[in-house]
Amino acid sequence: MSDEKKSLASNSKHGSVLVIGGGIAGIQSALDLADSGFKVYLVESKPSIGGVMPQLDKTFPTNDCAMCILAPKLVSTGRHPNIELITYSDLKNIEGQLGNFLVTINKRARSVDESLCNGCGLCVENCLVRFKPQKPIKHDAKKDLSEKDLEIVDKIIQTCGKEPDSLIPVMQVINENYKYLPKSILAYIAQELEIPLSQVYHVATFYTSFSLKPRGKHTLRVCMGTACHVRGSPRVLDEIKRHLKIESGQTTNDGLFTLETVNCLGACALGPVVVVDDEYYPISSSKVEDFLKKIIKEDEQIA
Amino acid sequence: MNKLLKNYNDFDNLQKEVTTKRDHNRRLITICNGTGCNALKGKTVTKLLVDELKKQGVKDVSVLATGCHGFCEQGPIVVIRPENIFYKGIRPENVERIVSETIKKGKIIEELLYIDPKSGKHLVYEKDIPFYNNQKRILFGYNEFIDPTSIEDYISIGGYKALVHILREKISPLEIINIITESGLRGRGGAGFPTGKKWESAYKARSKDKIKYVICNADEGDPGAYANRSLLEGNPHSVLEGMIIGAYAVGAQQGYIYVRAEYPLAVEYFDKAIQHAREIGILGKTILNSGFSFDIKIAKGGGAFVCGESTALMASIEGKPGEPRVKHIHGTTSGLWDKPTVLNNVETWANVPLIINKSSDWYKKIGTEGSKGTKIFSLVGKINNTGLVEVPMGITLRDVVFNIGGGIKNGKKFKAIQIGGPSGGCIPEKYLNLPIDYDSLTDAGAMMGSGGMIVMDEGTCMVDVAKYFVNFLKNESCGKCTPCREGLVQMHGILTEITEGRGKDEDIELLEELAEIVKDTSLCQLGATAPNPILTTLRYFKDEYEAHIKDKKCPAHVCKSLITYNIDTKKCVGCQLCAKKCPVEAISGKAKQTHKINQKACIKCGICYENCKFKAVEVH
Repeated sequence: MSDEKKSLASNSKHGSVLVIGGGIAGIQSALDLADSGFKVYLVESKPSIGGVMPQLDKTFPTNDCAMCILAPKLVSTGRHPNIELITYSDLKNIEGQLGNFLVTINKRARSVDESLCNGCGLCVENCLVRFKPQKPIKHDAKKDLSEKDLEIVDKIIQTCGKEPDSLIPVMQVINENYKYLPKSILAYIAQELEIPLSQVYHVATFYTSFSLKPRGKHTLRVCMGTACHVRGSPRVLDEIKRHLKIESGQTTNDGLFTLETVNCLGACALGPVVVVDDEYYPISSSKVEDFLKKIIKEDEQIA
Repeated sequence: MNKLLKNYNDFDNLQKEVTTKRDHNRRLITICNGTGCNALKGKTVTKLLVDELKKQGVKDVSVLATGCHGFCEQGPIVVIRPENIFYKGIRPENVERIVSETIKKGKIIEELLYIDPKSGKHLVYEKDIPFYNNQKRILFGYNEFIDPTSIEDYISIGGYKALVHILREKISPLEIINIITESGLRGRGGAGFPTGKKWESAYKARSKDKIKYVICNADEGDPGAYANRSLLEGNPHSVLEGMIIGAYAVGAQQGYIYVRAEYPLAVEYFDKAIQHAREIGILGKTILNSGFSFDIKIAKGGGAFVCGESTALMASIEGKPGEPRVKHIHGTTSGLWDKPTVLNNVETWANVPLIINKSSDWYKKIGTEGSKGTKIFSLVGKINNTGLVEVPMGITLRDVVFNIGGGIKNGKKFKAIQIGGPSGGCIPEKYLNLPIDYDSLTDAGAMMGSGGMIVMDEGTCMVDVAKYFVNFLKNESCGKCTPCREGLVQMHGILTEITEGRGKDEDIELLEELAEIVKDTSLCQLGATAPNPILTTLRYFKDEYEAHIKDKKCPAHVCKSLITYNIDTKKCVGCQLCAKKCPVEAISGKAKQTHKINQKACIKCGICYENCKFKAVEVH
């Protein structure tokens, strides 16, 4: 450290540090640096520092309240003589090298003189435009669907019902029909079942059986249950990955295979097991190549 | 289409009719059509059997496709009644001989019999096979006698008798709850909460509009456990009857069954069971004109492990993401849609009609002081007789593994048994004489869970197993609370470092510390029990962790980064099989000359090791 410091000291431009991002990590770094005597510029793209942490309830591993940790740090950052806050700004360019950087920052217009503002909040309260109701943009999700899709989806909704507990069944049938959940259809379901689209997406991304990306012609599901694991399923998965050149959850470029893993299929006596389009196959890593070739060959024969 | 029954007399008549029609001493070929046997072409064999009987002109013998018999290792299983001749591993080519020799001439085909590995004898009858005769199959035994898609079959073995008895005699809900409490039945989902107590608090709970729910938890997410599935596939009506009785006892009008979507056959059969029960008037509005109404809906899971947790399951039924909530208030007071709800496991529900029929005194006699009745376990992993076993509580692990399970595959040495799924623990050899019940398993650091028993031999690396479970739970954590979401990632990171040879001495201590924090601070049981695999493996197999960290060796030869494959020059005959099979062409050597593995190119896939016929490939 001392050697490094000397070499820096020989250069005329030193002693100031730019910290990018005013989240908890940025704030802590800025405070530590500033306390060690460096001049710190803290750049943040939002109008104020703090980042995501104020939105959290508890923090790991001590389960302390997030705001209780953050608030004192926010105050000391604002008051520290060595820290200069550059908020509502974007970093455009960094040039130079160790000890001699030139940074371009674009400060967006705030239309408030920061040096005079004392944060009283009167302007917010008195703004006339603030309370003007904003019209939501009405969009009929029905228009985005083709007639054929509309017919299918309407039929599904009709059989499953429009109750709140119908959302998952509707999505399951659509997932089966289309092999994934098309975005336009999700928007339409949200509209028909009168459930916020955000909640529909929450459900769609929560459950592993739903896919937002189109699946391939064949879905290979490798069982990763404990019984299959101790009998060597990880090696089977590795082999399949190597042959198809995809990771699990991905589809091959030719759209033929989608590789997925499943927790347990309950066919533990046969393990390791691979399921191809609902057919169970006991397999071992040395048979993977022949197994995949067989599927491709069968496909060609049908074609 | 089944005929609608209008009153109790109609039911009695139907029962008489089907009992004579479906005499269990009639000549019958039963074949297992469970998922395990179906994967081994059980369905094809069934069809061939029917065709073959017709072709050979046999008329008085019928074929019965039943649910799981439990002995999945030997599938597809065929049992010929009334003699109960047991044939295993039936292939399509065996069908012709079964009909022409056994059915027509009564001759037993020796090649299809089960061979006792201990005595080497061919065993003809089911009752002689150690796998079966060491069990006590009070729930599961019916599977092999009935067609799961026929309500008449279920009635012919005494089905719905308990329900009709309750309705006819107008037995009060409190009396039923008393019977269940007295029987000592505890929740089979794993935690072992007394069922009677749960029902009682739901019965007493007040609901403004008098709406209450019962739920059957069939989200059997534990990897390596499939007992619930086989019960639903083999005898769905027993679960249904249990639910109807439960609903009557607590005063519920609507029931749900939450089944994993990975179990399509269970969903199909249970759906059929519901339809048939509705047709004959056992389910729906005023059941058999008793004034009691109850109906059931099926909810399919979406492949989220956490949905097996009661509050997450309820959220999922409500159409929300399956995230658990804090349980200040029990589900029995405020569960599904904030109404009093009783949630029980498939097996718990199936026990209910049995207890009503045979009395709580009879049930109490089975099992130990604290745990009554039987429990179905999935005995899987490196064991000879993989399958489902139903044993009385209190049986020792040794009995299960060595008598019923037939010991370890390929004569290897037993190392540990993992009980209770990802939340359970690994129990080492010195505890093999432990009697299985809720409390003793918890004391040993494992838990009953949904009944998965995964047997591990000397070729299983315990650090790798711990990593496997932590990885599983890391992926399945719903992400709502921080200790579980972040803690599991950290623990997985440390375990990965250890298995890849970068472990540090202080890692064991750090793991222990993290495990305790996650255990104490997680929101639901998924997180609170998540460290169990780490804690038990650390408790019983610390030496393996130390071997990974200090010696950079994996004693079980599992962790890829810590092993190397070599060819024994003395054993290699130069057959070139390994060189041909090697996916990265890392093996060199001409025909009839010893081969060599290029360690730089080797990806340690183990294919050469698997394929070598002379055992010349060694792992170090």
